[in-house]
Amino acid sequence: MDPLTQLAFNQHVILKLPSGNWKIVELKPNASISLGKFGAFNVDDIIGYPLGTTFEIYYEEEAETDNRDKNKIPVGKVRVMTESESVHNVTSSANNMNLVNIGNQVQGLTMEQIEELKKQSVSGEQIIAKMIEAHGSFDKKTVHSQQKYLNRKKQKFAKHFTAEYLSGSRMLQFLLEKGDTQRVLDLSQETMGMLLNLANIRSNGTYLCVDETGGLLVYFLLERMFGGDNGSTEKGRIVVVHENEHANLDLLKFSNYSDKFVREYVKTVSLLDFFEPPSLSEVESAFTPLPKEEAYALKAGKKNAYYRRLKWYNNQLEAISLATQVQYDALVCASTLYLPQLVPRLAEHVHGSRPVVCYAQFKEPLLELAHSLYDDLRFLAPSILETRYRPYQTVRGKLHPVMTMRSGGGYLLWSHRVLPAEEPEATVS
Amino acid sequence: MSAFSEYRDVIKEGELVLVWISRDNIKPIKVDSNETFNTRYGSFPHKLMIGKPYGSQIAIRTKGSNKFAFIHVLQPTPELWTLSLPHRTQIVYTPDSSYIMERLNCSPRTKAIEAGTGSGSFSHAFARTVGHLYSYEFHKPRYEEALAEFEEHGLIHHDKNVTITHRDVCANGFSIRSSDVTSHKFNEGEGSVTIGANAVFLDLPAPWDAIPHLDSVISKNEKVGLCCFSPCIEQVDRTIEALNKHGWDDLQMVEIQGRQYESRRQMVRTMDDAIERLRDVKRRKNEGLERRKRMCDNILNDQPQEEINDEKRPTTEKTKFNPFGKGSRIKEGDTAYKWKQVTKIEPEIKSHTSYLTFAFKVVNKTRDEDQVKSELDSL
Repeated sequence: MDPLTQLAFNQHVILKLPSGNWKIVELKPNASISLGKFGAFNVDDIIGYPLGTTFEIYYEEEAETDNRDKNKIPVGKVRVMTESESVHNVTSSANNMNLVNIGNQVQGLTMEQIEELKKQSVSGEQIIAKMIEAHGSFDKKTVHSQQKYLNRKKQKFAKHFTAEYLSGSRMLQFLLEKGDTQRVLDLSQETMGMLLNLANIRSNGTYLCVDETGGLLVYFLLERMFGGDNGSTEKGRIVVVHENEHANLDLLKFSNYSDKFVREYVKTVSLLDFFEPPSLSEVESAFTPLPKEEAYALKAGKKNAYYRRLKWYNNQLEAISLATQVQYDALVCASTLYLPQLVPRLAEHVHGSRPVVCYAQFKEPLLELAHSLYDDLRFLAPSILETRYRPYQTVRGKLHPVMTMRSGGGYLLWSHRVLPAEEPEATVS
Repeated sequence: MSAFSEYRDVIKEGELVLVWISRDNIKPIKVDSNETFNTRYGSFPHKLMIGKPYGSQIAIRTKGSNKFAFIHVLQPTPELWTLSLPHRTQIVYTPDSSYIMERLNCSPRTKAIEAGTGSGSFSHAFARTVGHLYSYEFHKPRYEEALAEFEEHGLIHHDKNVTITHRDVCANGFSIRSSDVTSHKFNEGEGSVTIGANAVFLDLPAPWDAIPHLDSVISKNEKVGLCCFSPCIEQVDRTIEALNKHGWDDLQMVEIQGRQYESRRQMVRTMDDAIERLRDVKRRKNEGLERRKRMCDNILNDQPQEEINDEKRPTTEKTKFNPFGKGSRIKEGDTAYKWKQVTKIEPEIKSHTSYLTFAFKVVNKTRDEDQVKSELDSL
């Protein structure tokens, strides 16, 4: 299976539920996944289908009532869903003139009856069909409002899900919908997209990054550089500078990059080690690697200790190189540290002509940064940018912007690192 | 490797560079040690650039007035390239293009289709990010111009990840055959190009005529994303009709609004200072009135001339208290005054670029049962 195009074992994917909510799951072999009221399914049944396929969960016969565990969702079978049909065999009204709101009484089925239907595990479509049948004034609704009714009921009773590739954008959407707005600093997809382009992120670049979004920014960078491919032949590196002793890249646990891959392409250095790296002589005086044969010959206990020290030694050497030798191809920054101090100091390590892009939830910190960069000849034309998307209800004949939506999305500062020249001597004429 | 695909350190003879004169004046040049880059601020011999790191400021003294003048020499990126284009042409700007690329999940594994090529601005951004870009342009002179530009920029021969074809995709679809006018170099016996695109961008006046042709060139076994870029709502309506008809799902139309802010300063002018200034004005006015009154009194009382002479012309003394620098030109940010940092939106914004209609499609929604079985058995 190709985890980049197909549903593969041991891969994280994101499921879209009829309610519009998202759920991240791991596709473990021989396991089942429960989606609560939307049913449950076996992982093995969906493996091998293309990512982006929509499945319907169905139950062939009445699920045997298990008295021991009433709350357990029965595991159903799945079939690939094709476009759902609209309302059939019902008449509709040209307008809502005859539609009188009498509340619940219009529905002939009682709550108990509906619950009973759900217990019998008949398909969502069937429940909805029965409800329409029992509806007192369904025919007095217009086609549009019938459609709306149907959509509302589907969100409640339909048993289907779409298994999608877990891209950076979908991870962001997942976090936003689950209310983790602050964790991702109120980022939006459009702002992230613009950040990646303005910073010229691509494979074969070495990027300096401050990520206070728990690894989301790093994940977006990885996706642009390697396209989710553990076997990628592309090169490049991300160096994450962090303010705590250890970097927080928690969200990468959902990614499908192996630990080995992440260790190879993502390096983390604390602010202290970045700005005050140990000296080479300090490191070398603390430890001297042995020739390979001698290391192999060490006794078990000693050998372990030796390799631990060797790992430390190599990490130190790498930290020194990242902090003193590398000229970075971009600085991308999503940090709430005081920017007029952070950015110029980090940008010292950015190669001339390369972009510096900073994200902030609020405009004011970027404004302060912009003013301080204006006075600094090492930065060219800092600008504050904002981008916002406006989605539409996308139905023919009823196109209009959606009535309410999430706001926010933050701001970006974009500048280029430049190398100021000495003012030439005035020539004596 | 091209100027767009590799990170370069030092400026060399023959390289394409962008000269930054000001925010809205960025010029592409090819470095040639015999040439001079002329601006209204002065002349910059290319020789001054060669051997300097990218991003270097190049400074001169102007010949006549001996003034300090400078430019910055940058390595091109797709975004800077977009800024350097003359604004008259139809350009997909960065707020739109970056959103489209993110929404279509562009990466080195992406094979993208773009029709039409237009100014080539979006092509550069695609080429930077995707594995391969197939670009189509139906206007012959524009095709030739774009082809020459892509070749010059190394996108076709060096990076080998852009193919441009002269084609009216609405009439003739997207397949590239050996008889076509295209940048693709056919091998012996190769009849047509296998495209298998998983991202499609249609910037066409009638995308609904191109949509039916997509099935034969998009990837069959994975989810394919499509974006139609149309300025009019009527086009969107017809596009949705065609997308529904041809099995595209998850339709959503969005608009992108990009904004840029200037960082400015506004003087902090307190009310207390305003009152103090009024008090000062009033005091001086009273002094003047008293003097005038004394003068009149003196005349009426036939006082000696000498005394009158002293006070004949009541001099208005210069304002003592002028906290806001009234009457003189104050430079924004003058350290003698207090300032508040503010943002100002650009005087003119792009209030509408185009509607972006997104849709997605999985052509082959089946699985290889044998493969699944063998994988399960191997566990």
